[in-house]
Amino acid sequence: MHRRLLGFAVVLVAVVSLMTAEASGQAASAATSKANAPSAARWRTPWGDPDLQGSWSNATTTPLQRPARYGDRKFLTPEEVKEIDRQTDIGTDQRPANAVRDVADAYNRFWWDRGYSDGRTSLIVDPENGRIPAMTAEGQKRLAALRAFEGQTTEFGTDGGGKADSWEDRSLYERCIIRAPLPRVSTGYDNNYQIVQSPGYVAILQEQMHETRIVPLDARPHLDGSVRQWLGDSRGHWEGSTLVVETTNFTDQASFEGSSQNMRLVERWTRVADDRIDYQFTVEDPSTWTRPWTAAVAWHPVGPLFEYACHEGNYGLYGILEGGRQKDKEAAEATRKESSK
Amino acid sequence: MRTRVLGSIVYGLTVAALIAWSSPAAAQQAAAYRGPRTPDGKPNLTGMWQALTEANWDLEPHAARPGPSQFGALFSEPGGVGVVDGNAIPYKPDAMAKKKENFAKRWTEDPEAKCYMPGIPRATYMPFPFQIIQSSSSVLMAYEFASASRVIKLNDKSKSPVPSWMGWAVGRWDGDTLVVDVTDFTDQTWFDRAGNYHSDALHVTERYTPKSADLIMYEATIDDPQVFTRPWTIRVPLHRRLESNVQFVEFKCVPFSEELIYGHLRKKAGD
Repeated sequence: MHRRLLGFAVVLVAVVSLMTAEASGQAASAATSKANAPSAARWRTPWGDPDLQGSWSNATTTPLQRPARYGDRKFLTPEEVKEIDRQTDIGTDQRPANAVRDVADAYNRFWWDRGYSDGRTSLIVDPENGRIPAMTAEGQKRLAALRAFEGQTTEFGTDGGGKADSWEDRSLYERCIIRAPLPRVSTGYDNNYQIVQSPGYVAILQEQMHETRIVPLDARPHLDGSVRQWLGDSRGHWEGSTLVVETTNFTDQASFEGSSQNMRLVERWTRVADDRIDYQFTVEDPSTWTRPWTAAVAWHPVGPLFEYACHEGNYGLYGILEGGRQKDKEAAEATRKESSK
Repeated sequence: MRTRVLGSIVYGLTVAALIAWSSPAAAQQAAAYRGPRTPDGKPNLTGMWQALTEANWDLEPHAARPGPSQFGALFSEPGGVGVVDGNAIPYKPDAMAKKKENFAKRWTEDPEAKCYMPGIPRATYMPFPFQIIQSSSSVLMAYEFASASRVIKLNDKSKSPVPSWMGWAVGRWDGDTLVVDVTDFTDQTWFDRAGNYHSDALHVTERYTPKSADLIMYEATIDDPQVFTRPWTIRVPLHRRLESNVQFVEFKCVPFSEELIYGHLRKKAGD
């Protein structure tokens, strides 16, 4: 764990230096930065592919969508960044004064690993307003159903509307099936990935839930359309020093911001420094959004990944379901008392 | 001593002469297989591999057995000649009692039924393919079953901070054999569906030796002084999956296991 904290500190230093660069107006956004060719040649595997290997984190507090208060503004001032990061530090250092809340948080806040602001007002770089574009009627319906299923959103996640008749009332994360659908954006902790390459393949191991995206680079056709997967089906190729991965064959049992199983996801990884990969994704799903949209975030080195066993001994889910049955018992008891009056 | 040295030289010359006289094909067979190499000169293990064996049913020799009767002949167990050197796993007496208890409860207590990460060596010979991605500093193995993954660190001295289901794997090349030391396991995984098990003192030494472009000989030596009287070894050939369209396919089995694990906590009808 010390190692993780050390890695965390390294990321912090990297992010701070990134912010300094942003403040001087150089770095611009991760989306628009282009690896300059001479330096990109430094990161090569022995067989000549661009080298993305290592352990990386995409943690950042920069939100996916631009909050309305920023209007058209893409970048924060250095003072704003400082204040946001100060608030993040306060949030991670202190325990809630309310003891009930403290217990409900499960972890004290020290254990969060949210990253820091990257100096921008949103991860979304297209459209220009930093917001997810207008949804189709079908997309709106799907998103509403998703939000209703998720229940209340708290700063610790969603509460499933308090319903626990069966495990199927609970989120995919609580059930330890997936942490989140693709594309992945920064969450509270464990935003960690490890890339391993061999000739013909790139493998992207996601610390949560210990699954690996195997990306063949040989331009083979996608899986048959009848095969639907939680992480879809990925195919990759190199465009200059950028890894471009196209993913299809998603399942309708998971949805990213309302996406359907027909989403086509295009992701790009470009090594731009020893300690930085520029990552961006574009989602295309005409049945959900009126136009494609793109977000970008920097990946920074992180300490080694550890096994994230979640389903193995998922006591949280036992507790939730046992709580649900206890409530049933109490409700039945109350009804019996009421009727015997 | 001099005679011994002279004898060796004579023997060596004789062998060399015999090889020189034999046909080129025979000479090739006598030499160790030397297959495709990575750019850094190591045998290239990248690909989709799968064991063709009854080992996941039972590592030891066993006759065919019935499965759950409601499924008829489906899920009944194929017999197998066993993959353990010397056939029998050398349990300590009290550990053998525990193994028998596991066997009796195997249809509900096998961690495979619960979709738990299978551990090593079991992940290697389950009836699912696994993908090897070999780089120069690490070798990633991604198993379809339960989306279990592990990264073998090559020539690494770091220590595991915590026990884990898939273990802490450090590898090195011994000639053309990838040797992997795996330690820091939990005591929660089984070796097979017959209830063969281990403690958290388990230390597995794996050896991956390419025998042809499409065959790796896999050996695992299992050392666990809390459960066994001595270390013991299994041998399982791994075959390359040769279908032109072969690829890693997800087997996220958590949803398949939830009724077994949480079924008793489902809201009863009428509650």
